[in-house]
Amino acid sequence: MTGGSPPFLSIADASRLIAAKKLSPVELTRALLARIAAVDPQINAFLLVTERQALAAARAAERAIAAGRRGPLLGIPVGYKDIYETAGVRTTAHSRILAENVPEEDAETVRRLHAAGAVMLGKLATHEFAIGGPAFDLPWPPARNPWDVRRFTGGSSSGSGAAVAAGLVLGALGSDTGGSIRLPAAYCGIAGLKPTPGLVSRRGVIPLAPSLDTAGPMAWTAQDCAILLDALAGYDPSDPASVPGPFVSYASGLDAPLKGLRVGLLRRFYEHDVPGSPEVLQMMARAASTLRSLGCRVTEASLPSVQDYNAVGRVIISAEAYALHEATLKTRLSDFSRVFRVRVLAGALIRAADYIAAQRRRTDLIAETARVFERFDVLVAPPTAGAPPPLTEQRPDDGFSRPLLTTVANVAAIPSLVVCGGFTATGLPLGLEILGPAWGDAMVLRVGHQFEQAAGLRGRRPEL
Amino acid sequence: MAAQPATTVPMISPAEMQILISRAGLVLNPGQMADLVLAWRQVAGLIAAIPQGRKLTDDMALTFRLPPPAGATSASRAADKQTRAEVDGGSVRRTGQAARTAPRKPAPKSARSAAAGPALKAATARSPKTAASRARKPATKNTAAAAHTTAAKAAAAKSSARAKVKLKAPTRRPASRRR
Repeated sequence: MTGGSPPFLSIADASRLIAAKKLSPVELTRALLARIAAVDPQINAFLLVTERQALAAARAAERAIAAGRRGPLLGIPVGYKDIYETAGVRTTAHSRILAENVPEEDAETVRRLHAAGAVMLGKLATHEFAIGGPAFDLPWPPARNPWDVRRFTGGSSSGSGAAVAAGLVLGALGSDTGGSIRLPAAYCGIAGLKPTPGLVSRRGVIPLAPSLDTAGPMAWTAQDCAILLDALAGYDPSDPASVPGPFVSYASGLDAPLKGLRVGLLRRFYEHDVPGSPEVLQMMARAASTLRSLGCRVTEASLPSVQDYNAVGRVIISAEAYALHEATLKTRLSDFSRVFRVRVLAGALIRAADYIAAQRRRTDLIAETARVFERFDVLVAPPTAGAPPPLTEQRPDDGFSRPLLTTVANVAAIPSLVVCGGFTATGLPLGLEILGPAWGDAMVLRVGHQFEQAAGLRGRRPEL
Repeated sequence: MAAQPATTVPMISPAEMQILISRAGLVLNPGQMADLVLAWRQVAGLIAAIPQGRKLTDDMALTFRLPPPAGATSASRAADKQTRAEVDGGSVRRTGQAARTAPRKPAPKSARSAAAGPALKAATARSPKTAASRARKPATKNTAAAAHTTAAKAAAAKSSARAKVKLKAPTRRPASRRR
C-alpha cells in the first residue's frame, strides 16, 4: 500500500478498493478530473482532457463490476502520450503538423488497456514527435515538473511523467527510443519501464526511430507498471517487431525473495562516463546498501562506455527520424519547432554507410551487453547525472551533445526500469535505473518493487 | 567482438551542406542553416566515434528473413528448428515462427499517414526489424551458400562472434492463453 487516498492512489491500491466496492470508478474519475482542472494549468501535462468519454467509460466499468467482472485495471484512470492513436480522439504528437489528426483506430496498446477496463482521461504532452525537446514555439506549452514547475520533466514522455507524479492519472503510456520513458520517470519521481523490444506492440504509436522505439508503462510504482504490463504485453502480428513474449504474470511474481541475486553496479558509468552529482553518488551508495539489505550480492560491473552506446543510438535516431519526416520537412519546415529542426535535420546529411556502420556496431554492443548478463542478473545505474534542471536551461542540441545514460538499454535491446531512488536536499527526485537481460522484464520489475518497498520513498508526493 | 578503431568522417563545409540540403529538396533560411551547421558538428562527432572497418564477411546486421513458403509443413518447420538448434550449439532460440507466418491484419487506415505524407506512411509499413528480431536469427542468415549443410552452418556460426548475440528465448505461451 502506498497509503494514499483519491487522487493519490497507486493502481494496486485503487484496484483493491474498487474490487472491495469501497471506491467507485466514477467517484475516482471525478476526483481526478477535478484535480486536472485545478492543477494542470500549472504543469501543462494534458493536451486534451476527454472528460465526457472518461465518465462514460467509468460508468461502464461500474456496470461491469456490478455484473461481477473483476480485473486490476477495471475502472483505473489513465492517460496516453499524444503519439498513441486513439479512435475518434485527436492525436497530435504535440505538433502543428498533426494538429487536426483524428485517427480511426486505437493503437494496439490503447485497445488492450480499454479491453482491460482502463478509463482514458486524455492525451498527454510530449516533445514534438517524441524528439523535439521542450519547445515554446508550438501550439501547446511544454509540460512542467510537478516537484518544481520551473524545472524540466525530462522527455519525451513529459506529460506522462508529470501527470502521474501530480496525481492526475494513476498510470500512463510513454514511448522510449533513447530514454523517453525513463528520463521523465527519473525527473518526476515515478516508475517507468522500457520493455524488451517486441514485448509490447507499437502498432498505432507514431514512430520516431523504428529500430529503437519501444512502448511502455509509467506509473507511481514498479508494481503498477507490472499491472499495466500484464495487460500490454503480447504478440501483435501487425507490429513486425512483435514476438510472443514469455508467459508470465509480471505483477504476481514481484515478492519472490531477492536473496542471492547478482546485482552489478555500473560505477564507471556515473563516476566517469557521465559524472553524477554528489547527491547522485550518495543515492547510488544508499541504493547499493538497500539492495544488499534485501539479500542481493552487489558487486561492480562494466559495460562499454556510455558514449559508445550513444554514438550508435543518436546516429540511428537522427537518420531514421529524418527519413520518416522528410516529406513533411520539405513542405512544412517552418511548422516544426526549432528544437525539432535542430535535432532532426542533421539526419539529412548522414550517409547510408554511416547509418549501416551504426547498425553493425549495435550488434556488437548487444552481444557485449549480453555477455555481462552471464555474470549478473541485473545491473544498476542512475538514469541521469543529477536532479531535474531548470526548463530554460535545455538546449536544442542536447540530444547530441550530452550522452544519455538511458540510451544504453535502447541500443542493447534490453529491458530497463527506472524507479524513484531518493531525493535531493531541496526535495527533487533522483531516479535509479535497473537493467536486465533481454526478456528479463519480470526480474527488473521485481527488483524495482522490492527496492521501493525497502527504500520507503513512495509516500511523498509533489505539493501543487 | 572488439570494436575496430573509429575512422575520420570527412568534414562538410557550409557550402557543401547547402548543396546536400538542396539535393534533399529542403529550403532552409540562414537561421535554420546556422542551426544545421551546429547540429551537424555534433552528429559528425558521433559518427566519427563509430568503428567502420569490419570484415566483409562479418556483417549480418542488415538482413531479413522471408516467411516460409506457403506449402511448408509442420514437419519441415520442426526440421528447421532442429537445424537451428544445432547451429546455435544446442541453445534453441525462439524462432518467432508464429510472428512470421501469422496473417497480417490489413494496415489500419491511419490519419497520421495522410497528414504526415507518404514518407511516414511508407516507413511505418516497412518498419525495420529490431535488433531483437535480428538476434533471433541463425548466424548464417546472410551466407546462403553455406546453409546447405548443418556442418557448414555450425562452422559459419563459430566464425562469427556475432553468433553470440542472443536474446534468451522466453517460455512460449500456450496458444490457448496467448493474449
